[in-house]
Amino acid sequence: MPAFQLNVNGRMHAVNVDGNMPLLWVLRDILGLKGTKFGCGVAQCGACTVHLDGRAARSCITDVGVAALSKIKTIEGLSYDGSHPCQKMWVELGVPQCGFCQPGQIMTAAALLDEHPHANDEQIDAYMSGNICRCGTYPRIKDAIRRLAGSATS
Amino acid sequence: MSKKFKVSRRAFLRTAGVGTGAVVFGSYLTPSLQAQGLIHNLIYGFPVDDIPVVLLKLNGDVVIITHRSEMGQGTRSTLAAVLADEMEADWKRVTLKQADADGAKYAVAFPAEVPASHERLPFPYEPIIETRKPKLQYLVPPEGSQFTDSSRSVTAYFQVMQIYGTGLRLALIRAAAKKWGVHEEDCRAEKHVVYGPNGQSIGYRWLLLGAKKEKPTYEEIVKAIEKRKEKRYIGKGKEPMPFYDALDMVRGKTEYGADVSVPGMLTAMIERCPVANGALVSYDAAPALAIEGVRAVLPMFPPGVRGGGVGRAFTPHAGVAVIATNTWAAWQGRRALRPTIKWDVGPHGTYDSAAFRKELEDSTSRPGKSVRRLNDVDGAFGQAAGGTVEARYYVPHLAQTPMEPPVAVALFQGGRMEVWAPTQSPDVTQFSVGAVALGIDCALDDTECQERARKAATVHVTMLGGGFGRKSKPDYVIEAAMLAKQMPGTPIRVQWTREDDVKFSYYNAASSQYLKASLGADKRPNAILQRSALTSFFGTIFPNSSTPGLAETQVAASQKARSEFVGSGVYPYASGIERAQGLEDMPYDVPNIRLENCPAENHIRVGWMRSVANIYHSFAINSFANEMAIAAGRDPKDYLLDLIGRDRILDEKLMTTETVERFRNNELPMTPIAAPVVEGGKDNQVVAGYPPDTSRLRAVIDQVARDSGWSDKVAQYKNMKGRGLGIAAHRSFLSYVAIVVDASLNAANELTIHDVYGAIHCGLAVNRDRVMAQMEGGIVYGLSIALLGEITAKNGAVVQNNFDDYPVLRMYQTPRIHVSIVDNNDPPTGVGEPPTPAVAPALANAIVAAGGPRIREIPFNKAITVL
Repeated sequence: MPAFQLNVNGRMHAVNVDGNMPLLWVLRDILGLKGTKFGCGVAQCGACTVHLDGRAARSCITDVGVAALSKIKTIEGLSYDGSHPCQKMWVELGVPQCGFCQPGQIMTAAALLDEHPHANDEQIDAYMSGNICRCGTYPRIKDAIRRLAGSATS
Repeated sequence: MSKKFKVSRRAFLRTAGVGTGAVVFGSYLTPSLQAQGLIHNLIYGFPVDDIPVVLLKLNGDVVIITHRSEMGQGTRSTLAAVLADEMEADWKRVTLKQADADGAKYAVAFPAEVPASHERLPFPYEPIIETRKPKLQYLVPPEGSQFTDSSRSVTAYFQVMQIYGTGLRLALIRAAAKKWGVHEEDCRAEKHVVYGPNGQSIGYRWLLLGAKKEKPTYEEIVKAIEKRKEKRYIGKGKEPMPFYDALDMVRGKTEYGADVSVPGMLTAMIERCPVANGALVSYDAAPALAIEGVRAVLPMFPPGVRGGGVGRAFTPHAGVAVIATNTWAAWQGRRALRPTIKWDVGPHGTYDSAAFRKELEDSTSRPGKSVRRLNDVDGAFGQAAGGTVEARYYVPHLAQTPMEPPVAVALFQGGRMEVWAPTQSPDVTQFSVGAVALGIDCALDDTECQERARKAATVHVTMLGGGFGRKSKPDYVIEAAMLAKQMPGTPIRVQWTREDDVKFSYYNAASSQYLKASLGADKRPNAILQRSALTSFFGTIFPNSSTPGLAETQVAASQKARSEFVGSGVYPYASGIERAQGLEDMPYDVPNIRLENCPAENHIRVGWMRSVANIYHSFAINSFANEMAIAAGRDPKDYLLDLIGRDRILDEKLMTTETVERFRNNELPMTPIAAPVVEGGKDNQVVAGYPPDTSRLRAVIDQVARDSGWSDKVAQYKNMKGRGLGIAAHRSFLSYVAIVVDASLNAANELTIHDVYGAIHCGLAVNRDRVMAQMEGGIVYGLSIALLGEITAKNGAVVQNNFDDYPVLRMYQTPRIHVSIVDNNDPPTGVGEPPTPAVAPALANAIVAAGGPRIREIPFNKAITVL
């Protein structure tokens, strides 16, 4: 099996796995980084969202061989202590219910705000609609992003 | 019912299970009194030696054991914060620990013969009658104490937590008062410190040994709860209620079932027979074993043996497992295995949703079993001066799809089974996997067998990545146990894919509802007929005539057991539970009523989904109310209030006895005394309940009408094309919710939902923020169902696969949501499920008001365009 050098959260990891193995399972099963979640396996729900070179990507359909070309950031690397503005706002507004989808939601939101620091509602909807939450926390997620974007209205 | 739930006294004769460094409060009770359970102890004194939910460490830190499953509803923080609030604990010194399955430990009971001085226990723990014989009466029986369903955690345990917390506070204050030689009335506690009258103060940790000797009585505790008006967190407390897990959740640190890792663990994926009750014919393990990392290929049942499905409770489907060193290898192995498997699909292989819908509709075209009858409906139909309204509604099967697909880990070692699972039903899981360990099969009503099986199993309950009823069925945990049994010493993790979750759910019932009303000259209905056909959960749980491979005598015995277990109709009729959810408790004040339950067979696994039978009953009756309002030419909101009529407690005499039991206490984990007591020739139900109260239903309608600006908007939209308001109101899980939807439909028949307004009456809103969150989430869940929800079967197998063809609501489809709580100080009632049922009909009614079609079936995207 080929060996891949993965840069995850600023640390290098050597993994010997099938190059087709999705990054999701490398993170979870090989590296033990369980914050990235499996929700659908077909890039429909966003629970597995990570950053590849700062952009949101669905790790469940990203082959490890491809991911190895980028700097990978997972929820564990967003901050160690929950101090990322998204994490702080999520806690302040009591966004999570079961919480399972929230690492993916936060990774997508963080990428959105990096790209569009003053994201408007259309941009928020466009970015965030790839992330499903069955508990229905969408109103609070939207509220949190609006506040961070300084676009809080209504 | 209670005779089916015999519980040995053994369960209560145990030592306190406390960890190192914990203070164990000494017992002062005689063993026989200890044996009578927790509330009993509280009646005779406090503290007990085994408060099961709290440990005080020697350094004063508090560990609160959370025994209900947390799946997003917030019960874990809420119940702990109630205890901490009343105890005056400093939340910074509180840690939470999730309890393993141990139903008996968290049961709540009191003796049926209550001492004269304690005639009134605080509502709802209020025995209406007394019996002559002292006898243990469970309010929360062992098998229900951790079963996290029916939106009942706070309802059942709010006061228990208040009692524990207050008892501890009183004991600590009393210890301080004695130390200082002052009156305890002059002392007060605040955040882990007791303050005396002369400026003294002392931390809780220094009072533990003294407090251990104190025994505040039950009366003192109740008085103290009432006296302490100002709560820190409860209701409109001084501070927001803590959300213990939030920080971990946003950091990805929370351990869900999917995240459990046990040394040496292998991961299994299972290729299952797509049809209920199918059997394996043959398979070839070689292609799967050729995949690197695959360690074993094991059938769930031997070839020829029928797996689970209809009439087999939680028995897994037939299947073949691929067991590997990691998830991806198991997945690849499963792909390689799939084409080699041959199934015998069995008698349900012809199940087809389109044909079955016709069966259901034929069923509601004929008279069914009468479950509530008031006066003469047929006679009144002959005098329909104001016309007749008639409609048929349909709701298909629905899948819960929690974000975390089912997953569990099991280890079989030394004859015992240890499992880690995100489960809503720790107790059922425990005896089910224990039975696997012992190689026995316990019937659902065989309590002796279950008792044996429990002893063979440990169940570690993890956090749940959503539940919505799916995770109250432990089939996926049993799968892990069945595989672990075949590989002793190796922990086996079963990981479901989303496709597995969509194709092997316990689906919400498919249902046909037929309604007919005749309107009088005043345009109010003088008669309503409703026929409800639904595929009952109990058709799946108990063996019945459609379960393959059973003799007639076995079917008869099982149906007798079912009848005793749920106290209701046998296959293919609905249970009292399902009928109590929006059918028999129809709140309309109409002089002639006949409600019928029509038969419906099971050909696929059916189970609960957030708000269950209320989904189709509320959709039908609230849509129908709107159809009548339109026929009458009246404002829908005014007409709805008029239909509900004057403030009153619904007359329970109209309903069947078992339904009254169900809907008064909403299947709270409360078991009535075996025999109803006859007083003055009249049967009395013995558990205090929460009968439907139309004043509460009216209150939420009034509230939501105010919030939405109903009257002004209705007038305004009259002059606009394509925009309208819809309203619906429904009682479920003891709470009352009204919903208003503001929607528009353009010329291309494309729907936009602008705003949804919701109002809830849930008694005291113990955790206000989580009540709001449940309303928001329950409304989103309801919109998902209404717009998009549909599971269909063809050739016995579910057609849908994943979120691409079983879509759920996404952010861009989510409207603005506005929630109100109707404040009151009544005992708290459910909030997890009640927000959902009124959403679909309110939306359907709004679409009509916006000039769109009357939609009588879910999902709405068949009739209109959902962008």
